[in-house]
Amino acid sequence: MRKLKLSMGILAIAFATLTVVSCKDAKKENNNEDGHHSEMSTDEDHSKMNHDNSDGHHDEEATHDNSDGHHDEEATHDNSDGHHDGDSAEMSSEARDLDVSSQKNPATTPIIDAYLQIKNALVTDNKGNAAKGGTALLAAFSKFDMTTLTGESHKEYMEIAESAIEHAEHIVKSPIDHQREHFETLSTDISDLITLLGTDKTLYLDYCPMKKVNWLSETKDIKNPFYGSEMLTCGNVKKQIN
Amino acid sequence: MKIVKIIVLVLLVAFVGVQFIPTVRNQSESTPKTDFMLVNTVPKNINEKLQVSCYDCHSNNTAYPWYNKVQPVAWLLENHINNGKEELNFNEWADYSDRRKKSKLKSIISQIRDDEMPLTSYTLIHKDAKFSENEKQELMDWLSGLRDSL
Repeated sequence: MRKLKLSMGILAIAFATLTVVSCKDAKKENNNEDGHHSEMSTDEDHSKMNHDNSDGHHDEEATHDNSDGHHDEEATHDNSDGHHDGDSAEMSSEARDLDVSSQKNPATTPIIDAYLQIKNALVTDNKGNAAKGGTALLAAFSKFDMTTLTGESHKEYMEIAESAIEHAEHIVKSPIDHQREHFETLSTDISDLITLLGTDKTLYLDYCPMKKVNWLSETKDIKNPFYGSEMLTCGNVKKQIN
Repeated sequence: MKIVKIIVLVLLVAFVGVQFIPTVRNQSESTPKTDFMLVNTVPKNINEKLQVSCYDCHSNNTAYPWYNKVQPVAWLLENHINNGKEELNFNEWADYSDRRKKSKLKSIISQIRDDEMPLTSYTLIHKDAKFSENEKQELMDWLSGLRDSL
């Protein structure tokens, strides 16, 4: 009788362990899926916006023809987002010198502000604030209204956003030296974004001769984000924007 | 003494139990057309090195070690492989935009340079996956060349 009790007990415990373990696993899978969703969020948002767009068309008869064509074009782009864009990508992702389009575009401001938040955190060696800036950047990209973008500029925006979002995600979860590495490429992405869409902010394109990369700053004084307090004033202003 | 016996027994039962939880295996028959080796002209030595040291976790096809079916090792491997593929999948290289290719190459180079990849837990078992200093330099030079050509 005692033996039976004992073995029953053991079975019960083993069962409990199994359940706990498998639940944990399932949870992890869910998390993974969530992660994917957040990565895809720009795409999703975009398709939502397209719907909004088409609603608008029905209301406004006058612009109907014009915007219909526009809508179709966007729709085809949706399909190709992030995939099979090998051929025409060459031109768009060239790291060009910042030759800002004359547009004074306020729409890019939240993105640029989040970028500058990361930059300023790295200047002061503050990993936590840089991570917060990364989260802010992710939010700014997901809220960005891209309904006005068509054709090539839409495609280029999508490529820039995809890359920048990836860097922001890493900045959120990485130690500071990794944050800085991702910030290097992020700087190229953001300056390409400004070249593409413009900004109404006054910014300075700075150059770090040690890293051989550019970064953007809202102040004329050099505050190098790549080494923090080690080499704070290293670098020079290449160009003023606005 | 009895307590010890019970604990051992419980652990044993649990160990046997977890073996029945399935894992998804990362294996595919064919190499997609978008594979890194197919869209780039990769020298033989670089090709081999990348396949041996990186492809187990950064492609859709893992050469599993014999103990891969034993839990909890299988979970650990599955986890590593999922994370690895999310960061970089050599099989999907051509699907990345040039902007991302450059960014991926930059990350690959810095990971190799800083000895962060391949993971120590991986090279512990896969001795041949480890890079010598020479091999590191060779790889970094070639990858930098590819990056500049984009």
